[in-house]
Amino acid sequence: MDTILQSILDVAGVSAALVFDGGGRLVCHRGHAIYDRALCEQLSGTLVKAIDSVELQQEDWETITARYTDGKLMLRRFEVAVTGRHVLAVVADTTLNASFATVATRVATNKLKKALSGGASSSVAGTLSPPPAGSSALASPPLPAGSSPHLPASRPGDSRPMLASSGLSWSQSSSVGLSRIAVADPASSAFLSRAAKGLARHVGPMAKVYVEEGVRRVSPDAPFSLSIADKLIDDLAGQIEEMEERESFRKALAKG
Amino acid sequence: MGDLKLVAKIPEVKSAVLTDMTGGFLDALREPDGESVAAVIGFLTSTMNQAGEDLGLGALHGISFSGQARACLIVVQGGLVTTVFVEPPTSLPAVEKAFDTSLQGQ
Repeated sequence: MDTILQSILDVAGVSAALVFDGGGRLVCHRGHAIYDRALCEQLSGTLVKAIDSVELQQEDWETITARYTDGKLMLRRFEVAVTGRHVLAVVADTTLNASFATVATRVATNKLKKALSGGASSSVAGTLSPPPAGSSALASPPLPAGSSPHLPASRPGDSRPMLASSGLSWSQSSSVGLSRIAVADPASSAFLSRAAKGLARHVGPMAKVYVEEGVRRVSPDAPFSLSIADKLIDDLAGQIEEMEERESFRKALAKG
Repeated sequence: MGDLKLVAKIPEVKSAVLTDMTGGFLDALREPDGESVAAVIGFLTSTMNQAGEDLGLGALHGISFSGQARACLIVVQGGLVTTVFVEPPTSLPAVEKAFDTSLQGQ
């Protein structure tokens, strides 16, 4: 996702780009040094209140633009399967070419939609580039061994990844209420939701518990990621007694 | 922009509401529920003003939002907030231009 946001930042006049979810939780951000994580989180919270009030007038809004003396703030909404509404916000100065910015944000939201839905997230992981000098981004501090470039930076003095406040926690993005599992990215979260729903067809409401237990077995020390999805499918299939049903579960998850 | 009669001349403007900066209702044009629109717009402008201050972007001049069926243009000027609803939404740039040029000079 860093690459996608960088493409917006490359448009002349753009100072920062960030993505937040419907609850105002910052998903990712990239921008000049002053637009750090704390500011972007604060901005996400403020903007979500503004969006709520816009929706009282126009529920189907697609874009919101605010013009200020020294710049512009552009918001574009996009929907992500499972996790729902997300918003791309672009902060720009007065030199912004509005037409270029509109095209760039449209392209970016299409890509972000795919990345957050899981379609492109695996390829995005391989194309992350280091942020340019003077820019602030999720992956800007050196990453500890074993950590994911998708995970946001930790707060000073806190070595845990900020899953809870990043919107990357499964509990915050899942419609099936799996609450005690950490995931590496939204695509992994979406996969776990699908797995729980798929398994529920065969084992009933215990499916959520089985998925939680399965994740702990296959990924005891790190947040769950799609790279170990096959291992999890094998593990979960073991919960289904009938061989035919087991295969049908495997096929349904493999199809995506 | 303290007079909605000027706004009424723009054919794409379907309705309009005039408020103060705190969301207080002042006047409405073809808008049956002007007071509730005023309250919502007051909150919205105040929140976006806050966002602009946080980002160091200076004073808020206006907001626009657009969807499938209609668009909305909010112009902040001289302590007054003029909100116009535009149909079709593709006419929003033309209405913005009208505000920026002829109407603001009057």
